[in-house]
Amino acid sequence: MIDKTMTETKTTFNKVGYFGTLIKDKSALIGIVIAGAFLIWSLIQGILENLASYTGYSRLGYLLLPSNPFATNFSQRLAPPSFSSLSMVFGTNDLGESIVSRMLYAMPRDALVSVIVVFSAIVIGALLGIISGYRGGWLENIIMRITDAFLSIPALILVIAISIPLKAGFDAVIIALSIVWWPTYARFFRAQTLRVKEMDYVQAARINGVNPFNIFFKYLFLNSVDPIIAYAALDFGNVILTYSTLAFLGIGLTIPIPELGAMASTGLSYLPADWWYSLFPSITILIIVVGFVLVGDRYQDVINNRIDY
Amino acid sequence: MNTNLMIYIVRRAIYAFVTLIFIIVIVYFLIHIIAPSPYALAGIYAGSGHHTRAELNSIISKYHLNAPLYEQVLLYIGNILHGNLGYDPVYKIPEIDLIGRFLPRTLELVIPAILFSTLLGIITGAFGASHRRKIQDQGVKGTYLVTWASPPFFVAIVLQLFIAYDLGLLPATGIASSALTPPPDVTGFPLLNGIVAGNLGYTLSVIHHMILPALAIALLSFGVITRLTRSSMLDAMESDYFKLELMKGVERNKAIYGTALRNASIPIVTLLALTFGYAVAGAVVVEDIFDYHGMGWFIVQAIYSTDYIAILGTTIIIAISIILANLIADILYGVIDPRVRVR
Repeated sequence: MIDKTMTETKTTFNKVGYFGTLIKDKSALIGIVIAGAFLIWSLIQGILENLASYTGYSRLGYLLLPSNPFATNFSQRLAPPSFSSLSMVFGTNDLGESIVSRMLYAMPRDALVSVIVVFSAIVIGALLGIISGYRGGWLENIIMRITDAFLSIPALILVIAISIPLKAGFDAVIIALSIVWWPTYARFFRAQTLRVKEMDYVQAARINGVNPFNIFFKYLFLNSVDPIIAYAALDFGNVILTYSTLAFLGIGLTIPIPELGAMASTGLSYLPADWWYSLFPSITILIIVVGFVLVGDRYQDVINNRIDY
Repeated sequence: MNTNLMIYIVRRAIYAFVTLIFIIVIVYFLIHIIAPSPYALAGIYAGSGHHTRAELNSIISKYHLNAPLYEQVLLYIGNILHGNLGYDPVYKIPEIDLIGRFLPRTLELVIPAILFSTLLGIITGAFGASHRRKIQDQGVKGTYLVTWASPPFFVAIVLQLFIAYDLGLLPATGIASSALTPPPDVTGFPLLNGIVAGNLGYTLSVIHHMILPALAIALLSFGVITRLTRSSMLDAMESDYFKLELMKGVERNKAIYGTALRNASIPIVTLLALTFGYAVAGAVVVEDIFDYHGMGWFIVQAIYSTDYIAILGTTIIIAISIILANLIADILYGVIDPRVRVR
């Protein structure tokens, strides 16, 4: 039991330490600011958009935006960026809609997709990974073969194969991404469980009759969770990239609803003359993904004691 | 050959085969969950547009969609192992013939791309590590971050726009110049066809057309390798044997690019298969943009025409290629590093 308390104290100490070290690192801090701003904006704007559709008071949906993202203005078709008004800073698209407003309006959906997919991947991955690591035997064998099978097809290809018969809409993309995204997490959790389960405090808990759910959650899940968080932070970016690639291929949301990946890819046909159409959405995706990658990357370094790398 | 290595190879091969069977079963079950009734499934197989009951019935009897599920799975696995991937409703020829036409072109694009991205990744990773925390290191990090985090279609289109359209250095689309008559298709690989036929003009044209798409694929996948090389190089540079080299008076650069890099690059072999997966996924977008008629282009066409037989067939074939790549990487690893054979 002494052993257990010592480990727990050490873990808590480390957790404060991890974040403290992380926030002092310049590139991690940039990442935290970018990713944080993206998530907070998405939350606020997402709530407003939902309120707008529930109350039918559509003005709420673009209360915080420079202009109405659906307002077409044919005299302003493909207007270049200008500082004449806030809604014009990134120019307009082929319908004269403000690109900056549409981008800000689109962000909650990118955030929603990445949050749902990463969290479902963590839940499914934790369940399968911990069970197979803890139980072992034939169950482990089968779960791990399924995991390997999933890992040997690129996620993009498998998502296409699943979402086409689902009619390739927004829900289909979320379902398909969630079906294919968990295997990396299952491997992670299994490896962590194998490492942790032999430790004295887990053995002690098992002998002392701690209920299996507690062992599962408190001892195995919470002790595996740090490297997972680091990887998940990075993975948000991967989901956003895959999601925007799907939009490029015509899978996902359909035209009137703004979507970053779809805007970037529709704008491609207006390159190079009307460069702003594709450039600003693409660069926004890039910046958001860089933010998540920086956080994940540095977090992994902190955990592995490589912060001065 | 030593027995340990033989046993290791056989074990990896069996394991690869089992993984393949699992993939086929999983894909099959996923489709059946989406389309539980024979008619729904027949509708998906038939593709877009309206289909009469009679058409659907003929598809049901052709693919035995009325049979019990386990029988269908066995039939499906048997068909795939015999190279029967169904009959393409759009092109009206067997799917396997279509894939046989498009797969070699993609391999011809993806394999040089992987070799280049691995090389690029190892060099930039080692360079970054040897200048750790200096401006050069930041530059390496910045470059791979940007290429990694950009939407793949954006990287491809920027390359095409600037290098092909603006500077006119390389052709923007196609596999070879359309002005040239292609040599007889002996090998399936356009490049090899040109070489076999001794047609220098055509061969050069193929190489010309390959450079940009291959570069795009390489740029999209080299970051992973840079990142791994950099951190395993830094680990190696912390090690005692590296410090010993320095103490013995070996020049720093020689110790870094000789001793440390040699040791750090062993795990990169295991990444080859992973990079292959990235590259194939990247090829979907890149081939579409460069109008390079390989597997990736074929998949995008299949999405537009909702040709599900084609999507299913390409998915299975891509899985098989990646499993084979994994097997080759495993075997290479076993040959290089004897320790893994006894695991």
